[in-house]
Amino acid sequence: MLEALQLTKRFQERLAVDGLQLRVAPGEIYALLGPNGAGKTTTINMFLGFLAPDGGEAKVCGVSVAADPVGARRKLAYIPEQVALYPRFTGVENLDYFSALGGKSHTRAELYELLEGAGLPRAAAERRVGTYSKGMRQKVGIALALATGAKALLLDEPTSGLDPAASHEFSRLLRRLAKDGVAILMATHDLFRAREDASHVGILLGGKLVAEFTKDQLEGEDLEALYLEKLRA
Amino acid sequence: MIASIARKEFVDAWRDGRFRLGAVLMALLFATASLLAWGQTERTRAERAAAAALERENWLEQGEKNSHSAGHYGVNVFKPVAPLSLFDRGIEPFVGTTLFLEAHRQNQAAFVPAQDATAMRRFGELTAAAGLQLLAPLLIVLLAFGAVAGERERGTLRQVLSLGVTGRSLALGKTLGLGLALATLLAPLGILGVFVLANSEVEASYGLWARAGGLALAYGLYLAAVLLGSVTVSALAPNGRSALAILLSLWAAACVIAPRLANDVVHEKLPTPLLAEFEKELSTDLQQGLDGHDPRTKQMEDFTQATLTKHGVARVEDLPFNFYGLAMLESERLASEVFDHHFGKLWDRIEEQDRAVALGGVAAPLLALRSASMALAGTDFTHHRHFAVAAEAHRREFVRVLNEDLMNNARPGDHGYVAGRALWEQLPEFKLAPLSAERALERAKLGLAILAAWVVATLVALVAASGRLRVDVA
Repeated sequence: MLEALQLTKRFQERLAVDGLQLRVAPGEIYALLGPNGAGKTTTINMFLGFLAPDGGEAKVCGVSVAADPVGARRKLAYIPEQVALYPRFTGVENLDYFSALGGKSHTRAELYELLEGAGLPRAAAERRVGTYSKGMRQKVGIALALATGAKALLLDEPTSGLDPAASHEFSRLLRRLAKDGVAILMATHDLFRAREDASHVGILLGGKLVAEFTKDQLEGEDLEALYLEKLRA
Repeated sequence: MIASIARKEFVDAWRDGRFRLGAVLMALLFATASLLAWGQTERTRAERAAAAALERENWLEQGEKNSHSAGHYGVNVFKPVAPLSLFDRGIEPFVGTTLFLEAHRQNQAAFVPAQDATAMRRFGELTAAAGLQLLAPLLIVLLAFGAVAGERERGTLRQVLSLGVTGRSLALGKTLGLGLALATLLAPLGILGVFVLANSEVEASYGLWARAGGLALAYGLYLAAVLLGSVTVSALAPNGRSALAILLSLWAAACVIAPRLANDVVHEKLPTPLLAEFEKELSTDLQQGLDGHDPRTKQMEDFTQATLTKHGVARVEDLPFNFYGLAMLESERLASEVFDHHFGKLWDRIEEQDRAVALGGVAAPLLALRSASMALAGTDFTHHRHFAVAAEAHRREFVRVLNEDLMNNARPGDHGYVAGRALWEQLPEFKLAPLSAERALERAKLGLAILAAWVVATLVALVAASGRLRVDVA
């Protein structure tokens, strides 16, 4: 469960996030749309505890991020636009290291299985990640979410720059995680993926959540038109 | 968690081609330095042993002569080579190795190795100590500058912290891992050193292993402080390039500028007299007495009168022994007071300078390390003073035996008296008992304490810096 309760962040005079109220329940995928500077990444950073809110509160599975940032981080996984890995380590070694940092220990066989589950074949997992494409890196990120057994997942522009096949594969994995009960908050510009994957879509504009739709509400609607309409309003 | 981070950092360091290249270069440098130093030490030891044997032979074969004349014939004594000088030559290249012992004069050690060297010596000596003092910190800088700053640049810092890892765990784990990588690099060299020392002929009283242990401690503390400081800078710097620039500047300041600056400041604040001034003052006090009011001639006249009164005679020729021999003994006694005063003052000042330079370690840990390293290796000024004091004691004993022989065996007024080999053989060869390891550790204590303080200070700085570790959120 991810909750933003009147979450507010100000950078000098500018309100980056303005009283954001949202809730992502287990099994839900919440797509946060908005133009650059709308406050999407600031919101993600507040959930991660990298930024302290000026008002309100962020909670991860009931744990207040402000009160216990490390405890909150222990319950989530984070996949940025570009998953950062150690270039002198193989995919499986990276996963081993990161999952150990996340407090989970896996056998080598389990790690390969997790990577294969995330779509990274064993041969690729044994290569140093210096040679990896962005899609392969994102798969390691997904495998890490699987490996740590995170109850919540934060994604920041995860499909940006991925080719359609890789993007499709990534979506499949996200839906699998949601099915397993993970609460997923995804900041994205990708309207197509939001439409396809999200159970909820929110539009953030100038730090304010100006619209929110369920998947059912979007049925038969043109999300792009709705989005542009909100932007022009 | 810290163990996982340390293990990853250790593996990452060894997979880093720059570290491997540095490690190979360091290993080659240490091996070359150690072999060259070992060869030079053995050669010097053999040369001095041969010279000492030749000197003894010359002394014994000098033929018959007046025993006081033999005092002027004199003997040379040679400074033994400190076993650990193969690791750290300290001041050895810049102080004399040979002392000429003769009647009436306390000489300074002559034959300074640096005088025989080419101008290339100004570039410094290739020793294992120099490598650890100057190059190992550079390797640490290259290894550690990106420890945290690199993670920030790569984006992995975000990834790592998002998993609930604290900045402190990350920084401490990285320090531990890098420390292990460095220790693995230095371990074979340490084992080589232990092997060489175990096969060296060393007097037990030298306390070889206590000294070697002290050296290991001093260098361990120094490198730990450099590593902790480097990771701290990496944690505080916005990026790897800044961290590297800051660390290289600090290295240059601490390893290149600070030693020269410290020497200049200390010589300015605690000056030692020029050799010519020293000799002039010594000569004046030998003539005028230490208080300047009781000239030597007057002192000797008083002594003559007191001796005549004591024995109830009017002329020295009527004394029951050769007065010339007794007068020489008294003259030596008076001169010894002057020598002790002047040399003592000079040597105390030089030791004071050494302590002041070691105290400079508070600003630049290399100064504290150098002080401790030379003391433990037996190549500092205190060890040189120990040699000079022992040689002077030998000189006084040697002159005393000769003068007493003259006093007791030459008839009063007999200027034709000669002694021979039997007397020369009574004079023992010069053997220097090594300064104890306890004294060496005592001398190294200040440097070791400063280095320990550096480790604590850099650890506190690292904990503070890593506690405030933030990711870029722009």
